[in-house]
Amino acid sequence: MFELRAIEKRFDAVVALNGAHLQVEPGEIRALLGSNGSGKSTMIKVLAGLVNPNKGQVLIDGNPVTIQNGQDSRKLGIATAFQDLSLIPTMSVRDNILLGNEPRNKLGMVDKKAADELIDSLLKRFKIDCDPNAYVQTLMPSVQTMLEVAKAVSLKPRLLLLDEVTASLHYDEIEVLFSVMRELKEEGVAMLYVTHRMNEVFQICDTTTIMRSGETVTEGKMSDFTLDDIVYYMTGQRPETDAKGAGEHVEKADGEVLLDVQGMTVFPKVRNLSMRAYKGEIVGIGGLQGQGQSEFIRALLGAETVEDGTIIYDGKEAKFKSPAAAVVNGMGFISGERNREAMFPLRTIEENIIAGKVAKGNLFAFMTNKSNHAFANDAVEKYSIKIGELGHPANSLSGGNQQKLVVARWIAMQPKLLLLDDPTKGVDIHSRQEIHRILRKCADEGMTVIISSSESEELLAVSDRIYVFYEGAVSAVLSGANKTPEALVAAMMGMTE
Amino acid sequence: MTKIKSTLQRFRRSPAFAGFILFVVAFILNAALQGPSAFFTVRTFNTLFAKNVPFILVTIGQALLLMSGTMDISCGVQVALVNVVVIMSGQRMGLPFLVCCLLGIVAAMLASVVCWVCCSIFRLPALLASYALTFAIKGINVMIMDVPQGKVEKVFYKAYDSQIFGFIPVSALALVLVLLIWLYVKRTKFGSHIYAVGANPRNAFAAGISPSGVQLKAFLLKGLFTGIAGVCITLMIASGNPLQAEDYGIRSLSACILGGLGFGGWGSVACGVFGAGFYVLIQNSVYYFFSLLVKLIPGFAVSSYWQNFVTDIIIFLGLLMTIVTAKGQREALKQGIVRQFKREPYKAEAKEGNGGEGK
Repeated sequence: MFELRAIEKRFDAVVALNGAHLQVEPGEIRALLGSNGSGKSTMIKVLAGLVNPNKGQVLIDGNPVTIQNGQDSRKLGIATAFQDLSLIPTMSVRDNILLGNEPRNKLGMVDKKAADELIDSLLKRFKIDCDPNAYVQTLMPSVQTMLEVAKAVSLKPRLLLLDEVTASLHYDEIEVLFSVMRELKEEGVAMLYVTHRMNEVFQICDTTTIMRSGETVTEGKMSDFTLDDIVYYMTGQRPETDAKGAGEHVEKADGEVLLDVQGMTVFPKVRNLSMRAYKGEIVGIGGLQGQGQSEFIRALLGAETVEDGTIIYDGKEAKFKSPAAAVVNGMGFISGERNREAMFPLRTIEENIIAGKVAKGNLFAFMTNKSNHAFANDAVEKYSIKIGELGHPANSLSGGNQQKLVVARWIAMQPKLLLLDDPTKGVDIHSRQEIHRILRKCADEGMTVIISSSESEELLAVSDRIYVFYEGAVSAVLSGANKTPEALVAAMMGMTE
Repeated sequence: MTKIKSTLQRFRRSPAFAGFILFVVAFILNAALQGPSAFFTVRTFNTLFAKNVPFILVTIGQALLLMSGTMDISCGVQVALVNVVVIMSGQRMGLPFLVCCLLGIVAAMLASVVCWVCCSIFRLPALLASYALTFAIKGINVMIMDVPQGKVEKVFYKAYDSQIFGFIPVSALALVLVLLIWLYVKRTKFGSHIYAVGANPRNAFAAGISPSGVQLKAFLLKGLFTGIAGVCITLMIASGNPLQAEDYGIRSLSACILGGLGFGGWGSVACGVFGAGFYVLIQNSVYYFFSLLVKLIPGFAVSSYWQNFVTDIIIFLGLLMTIVTAKGQREALKQGIVRQFKREPYKAEAKEGNGGEGK
């Protein structure tokens, strides 16, 4: 049995864990739930040896142990599949899986034959179709995630930690993963499963531990909880029952056209795609992963080269050479890849909020400290971002709050067209609802919002009309009464009549 | 047959391929300028190896460090340190030559450990830390030996300059020894850990590898190779000089880049070997090019600075070329991603590729 007792962890002023506890039995799949910033990931990192807690105990079978680093964790029979992947992109699939666990022969060299057998059986078990000699960076994100899990399982752990591994998986890959998890359960492996996808939790987990702001709020059998209960424990609030229905959004088809795309082609992902967005409308872009959604959005923004087709934006034909040109013309862009495309993690929160304003203004425009402060303070309050101080670095915030920060930055600039690419990836339900609320308010004020998302619930909840992408083209446009989960899923699979 | 073909194809995609092409070009150029009859002789090869093995060994050590995500440009003066220690321990303490050599190698390994402490423990930027160390080690060299002096017994330096069976240069054996050590090390766990740490130390740590431990091993191994290089240079010049080989540090770095190594987790020791080979042969070729000019044009005479100038221009062009090859790598990467998105099974794709080659 694995147990964490009264764990405390502080990063300077930010308290990540505040006396949290957790226990897992062999043969048990336990869901570790909580909104972003509740300390789930930190708990996982404590077990994985990446974070040393300030206080508290880790017990295995009742005996206290110390986990100082990754090696200790492995020796104790703990294996981790990380959310942000621990694979090395410039190494081959084979080397990655073997990393730190190489079978050796008598001379101390890596035993190639034993290694090949191990890899083959592992790839087969996880139904991964790839060349063991291929570099990991050339593989699709979902395959990389499967490899990450396969690598953890190959260590034959007693405790397996899965940190949001299904976020980028296809539904068939999730099935494979679940069947492997059930096998491991039979073998008596304890598992901790972290996810934001609630339906998965009910499908696979036996028990759950729910955390909120660094503390364990409740734990118990999965069957004793309903979805509403879980949301309540995670957020401290009962979910609002007035989920907006499909028919409620006003059709704006008669309004002013802000964006009209005809026959756009972006090699190799987007083919002859046409769409239209009206003023004050939230347009959803749905589809399975990698059907050209992000390329489409980046092409509008001028970050990808458009090979063919016309884009009419705000009454003029527009082919922006760079995102900067698009921003000057009143476009805003929010990416789900926070760290890569939207944030300056080491700069202060204030600077992050100001960044968009700076991009829009003149190069030599004079900015006073006072006006900057006021601007940033205003944004923080308006979008209820939980911060320590404006002067703290942006990476001191939790994931959900970081994303709110990025949203705030762009909305504060009042763009005419706001593009969002999977903005709520890895963001908890609560922050997600808040972002949706903000977007709706902006749309009501006349902003046009185009939002791409991999989650059907989100699209159905927030958008007026949904364009469903399939293999780089629009397979269906859903609006009004057509906007049902069934129709959306069907269109995502390319099933259109 | 197909196996050879696939091995060839794999080599073509490997990072060392660009370096190999450069090496072959320089080899042919050198042979042509010197005249094949003069070039393909035991004597020429012996001189080439005897003179340049130290530099090639240092480059191998540097390649190892680059692969593990760090570097050491003080390895040039470390070679001089070995030379100074070997000569002076013989002269002052009267130790037998072989013991002196061992002492010299230990000195190089110690210097490498100091560099490791600065880079991996204190987390100083490797380039700056090792640049600073250059001056510290130079100072130590001069403290041990103030002016060039000392000598090596004739038996040893004669042996270094001779050939086994009349055609294998003894100096080349040092290179073979180092490559054998590397071939063994490469096949141990350390061989893959070095790439992991070079590419992403954080992820390597999460995989249960100690990044600083791996870098320590890399530095020690580099120290060993530098030590052997220092012994070779001692045998080559048969005396001591505290201020020599300093430029090996920066030259070995550029040789590695020429050979196709990237900063961290990419490339192989072969890149270093080819890069160093290119460097050496280009220098040689330019020398013969100028002596050819002197012969062809009566009254043609320029200072040797012009030779260095032309050599460096060529090396600069070679470095520019690595950008082109890196672009090629990027292209291969892009294609790989496109293929993945199409979700074609990789085996069918491989067959297609082979079929195309067959025609």
